[in-house]
Amino acid sequence: MQNASSARAAAARPGPEPPADLFAPSTSFDPPAKRPLRVYAFDPTLGRVLGNNLVIEVNYEPLQPGPVGERFAVVDYDGSTKSFYAPVDLDNPNLLLRDGLDPTESDPRFHQQMVYAVASETLRRFEAALGRRVHWRPPPNGKHGANRLYLFPHAMVQANAFYSPDAHGILFGYFRAGSVVDAQIVPGQTIFTCLSHDIVAHETTHAVVDGIREHFTEPTNIDVPAFHEAFADLAALFRHFSHREALLDTLQRTGGRLYTTNMRADAPGSSTEPVIQSEIAPDNPLIELARQFGQVSGLHAGLRSALGTPANTQDLKTTIEPHARGAILVAAVFDAYFSVYLQQTADYFRVFRAGGGSDQPVDLPGPLANLLAADASRIAELFFSVCARSLDYCPPVDVTFGDFLRAIITADIDLFPSDSYGVRDAVMQAFRSRGIVPEGAQFFSEDALCWPKVRSPTETPPGPLPAVSGLLFGDPNGLTDDEKNVNGDLLRAYARANATALGFDQSPISVPSFHPMFRTDEDGSLKIDMVVEMVQQRKVPLDPAEPKLGTMVIRGGVTLMISRQPLRGGKRPDPEVRYAIAKHLGGTHDNLQRAAYVAQGFTDGTGANARINFGLLHGI
Amino acid sequence: MSTSKKTTRKKTTARKKKTTARKKTAARKKSPAAKKPARTPRTTATPGTTTPPSGTPPAARPAAAGSTGGTAGIRVRMYRVGFGDFFLLTVRAPDGTPRHILVDCGVHAANLGSIGAAIDQLAIDTGKQLALVIMTHRHADHISGFGTGAAAFAGFTVERVWMSWFEDPSDPAATNFPANITALAGKLQQSLAARSDEVGQQLFNMAENITGAAAVGGGNAAALATLHGGFKNKAPVDYYQAGDVPTLPDSLVQAGLTAQILGPPTDPALVAQMDNKPQQYLAATGEENAPPMRFNRVFTADASRYPPDAFAVFSPDEIAKHISSNQPDLLAAQAAKADNTINNQSLIVLFTFGGKKLLFAGDAQWGNWDNFLFGGAVVGDDTPLTANSKTILGSLDFYKVGHHGSTNASPIPAVNAMRDGCVAMCSTQPGAYGSVKNNSEVPRGPLIDALEKKTKNQLARADQVEVLNYPVDPTLESLPAIFTKDDTKGYIDYET
Repeated sequence: MQNASSARAAAARPGPEPPADLFAPSTSFDPPAKRPLRVYAFDPTLGRVLGNNLVIEVNYEPLQPGPVGERFAVVDYDGSTKSFYAPVDLDNPNLLLRDGLDPTESDPRFHQQMVYAVASETLRRFEAALGRRVHWRPPPNGKHGANRLYLFPHAMVQANAFYSPDAHGILFGYFRAGSVVDAQIVPGQTIFTCLSHDIVAHETTHAVVDGIREHFTEPTNIDVPAFHEAFADLAALFRHFSHREALLDTLQRTGGRLYTTNMRADAPGSSTEPVIQSEIAPDNPLIELARQFGQVSGLHAGLRSALGTPANTQDLKTTIEPHARGAILVAAVFDAYFSVYLQQTADYFRVFRAGGGSDQPVDLPGPLANLLAADASRIAELFFSVCARSLDYCPPVDVTFGDFLRAIITADIDLFPSDSYGVRDAVMQAFRSRGIVPEGAQFFSEDALCWPKVRSPTETPPGPLPAVSGLLFGDPNGLTDDEKNVNGDLLRAYARANATALGFDQSPISVPSFHPMFRTDEDGSLKIDMVVEMVQQRKVPLDPAEPKLGTMVIRGGVTLMISRQPLRGGKRPDPEVRYAIAKHLGGTHDNLQRAAYVAQGFTDGTGANARINFGLLHGI
Repeated sequence: MSTSKKTTRKKTTARKKKTTARKKTAARKKSPAAKKPARTPRTTATPGTTTPPSGTPPAARPAAAGSTGGTAGIRVRMYRVGFGDFFLLTVRAPDGTPRHILVDCGVHAANLGSIGAAIDQLAIDTGKQLALVIMTHRHADHISGFGTGAAAFAGFTVERVWMSWFEDPSDPAATNFPANITALAGKLQQSLAARSDEVGQQLFNMAENITGAAAVGGGNAAALATLHGGFKNKAPVDYYQAGDVPTLPDSLVQAGLTAQILGPPTDPALVAQMDNKPQQYLAATGEENAPPMRFNRVFTADASRYPPDAFAVFSPDEIAKHISSNQPDLLAAQAAKADNTINNQSLIVLFTFGGKKLLFAGDAQWGNWDNFLFGGAVVGDDTPLTANSKTILGSLDFYKVGHHGSTNASPIPAVNAMRDGCVAMCSTQPGAYGSVKNNSEVPRGPLIDALEKKTKNQLARADQVEVLNYPVDPTLESLPAIFTKDDTKGYIDYET
């Protein structure tokens, strides 16, 4: 009895708290890693076939209506009606449960969802390849705070879409299709550029590149506008190879020959001209850009013909129009891509033939197609990364196709010295066969094309560039404001102190950007570097013989790759400059800039801050 | 669909090959012109007689005074008509008779109303006998006189007419293109007519220059009709591109004149455009179409539906402002593009007579020059002028200043390469186009200065002679002594 009552008393008395369970399961929810969102894999013309209704796994972030996230703000203001469209709330449970809105042309909220998803995914791919966060060019009013890039899905009635640094965003147009168009477009229907996966990826790439480099978009030579178009096209095109269903379908229809421009029709032709839909041999969607837009505007025909033209060194000498010239670069990179793809998949075909498969297969067995698709998308990812990384190895101003080639080779050697896929070899061959040769390269070999390494100050005799002591690399999340201030002062002082060794003259040197990078190399170890731009500018007469004609601004500069050193004897040596990729003022460089300036017909009287006007470049 | 695309591609390559062959005149004949053998050179009427081998030194001839030229027997007469070209080149045959070449006859902006009288003067000057008529390109400021003066020209006997290959009626690609561009310009004109700003007015003039003001003598179509068959006789018409060996009329061959065609190039980009469906070029205006179908109005909302973060960088008003200011002036771009395209079709002719070289460049702009100067793109370390262009420019005796002295028509490398002391004539009238503010005034001050220096002050401007009620601007420098002028008849002569 007593026992019982004392036991009752013990039960009623608040005892000591049991120790917290280290492994108690969490009762809150982790945010998801991804947010699935529906988009068109290509554009509305392809309907539901070919895996055109795609679900992109965008990195998760909480979204406000717009969507407005951390990096992008979709604001649907229509300049032609001077009104806003209602923003989509992607965090609404009804949408969360079904991967966002279903693809449709008639609901602007799906358009908002699609531009957000594709732009976010494009940015993610760049950040993954570069090993760092990408910053947008600061808005013109200097509001740095939350630096979101604007996406305006219906900015204007115009067959055009472009990135505008002034508007701090991308303006997408929509327009009425003409009366004579392809069968897949209703005459007079509205075409939305923001529903073209390629156009969104292309424009986002322009914004990414403009954010990375201060003076990269100044059209100082004939290659610059072409390079920007080509680079944006490459980013859009390599994305195609991650659309698995479309890739599998194309592999089936081309018998594994992904590079052919036309695919096999569904049904064999019964007469010379196709009679029914299934007899039409469709275009290969993987190597075609902005299909719907191209059908109504006639644009991008250049790319098709560049990929279809045998490589020659003549076209580069005679092609001036930026898209056509850029198409030569795109064709060169794709030539290299397909070479690597063929080398890597050759064994699958050997095995296939050994098992009695045809030499020119019309239909591929499913497992073979799966293997090919896996390789094709892996190699595409690899090529995209190589191209994206090479941005950091370009000179800060006045880039040429030849510089880009050297940058690709250097970027790749830097992280993957063994070149197990033969990427560099394929790239060199493809560029050479199109006449893209860097100025000043003595041989067309890997080590001659690679930018020369800077001699280390620890060698004997030491190189002329001292270690950059005190440089802060922060961590992969970026630099704090204090760290940025330290680095800015330090790098400007370093540039002044070593102006001669860096190839500058005595006029002021600016340091427009410095970005720490955290990348893993081929054995999986972490490499920490910082890419720094240093730029000098000078006013020169347009024509030295005729000073009265006015002056123009020309720029030269150097891109430095500064590396954090591994520990030595328990101490960390100071960071050293590994590469100094220069395009300096003086000599032929000045003349080329001058020629480019004259060639543009004195577009801007001042010559200061002349950037490519993407609005005009794309529109006409 | 795919088969037709393939053929177009082939066509483009074939043309490209021709452009490369351009440098070697001898090689041209061998170039694979299987599809269109008529290309080099083509003639609508009876083919002309033999072409004189270029470079043959002209026969020595006695020097004579008078209106047919100086010691070399050359006279270039520039009629002042406003913003337009009207040039008469006269050479003296060995027998002492003058032979006349008319290079363009038109006026558009800043029309002084003097062209009718000038055509009457031409009739007197030439006795209504023209050996050759050259139409550099189809802009009103180069051809309108053939329309307004059709009645007068109907009395002229013309041995031959030269035009650029774009005008060839037997080449559907070539004829489609000017027709399309004229249609485009017509639409632009309608849209621009509504604009009252100064830029809009200049653009309107630009577009009208392409179509020709219909009210005045039936527009460019009427002028072209005269050129294609409105003379007293049926004059054969030739169509040329860079590198073609032109057929000279007999009377000029006898006189000892030779000619070379330096432009227009066969621009692959342009050809590609022509190969596209014609409508595509026009579709770019967007103006011709009704506005696109818009979203259901239930989707329209207020800016307040967006979170404040959306406006962290720009307020709703700033966004509206940026979007409206970022809509490129498509009308401007389209008008300028159409205008440049036609200018770049200009026939560039180099005449050699009595050891003197005379260059008539029409309104050729950078693209056309670029082809001639650099043989294509400006690429490489230090793109040198082609040897051919260096030789030609370095030995030039006379230059008809391109595009009325606007910035884009006489590139600096070209001016620099010209022979010091070369004589130049510029048909222009200030105030028609451009503005001093954006460094685009026509004629462009610094370019005129550079030319004056290059020519050692032997540059004549059309506005240096009086015509009708238009006196010479007293602030202008007076006409250099090397030229003579007639203030009652309104022309400037250069004789050598």
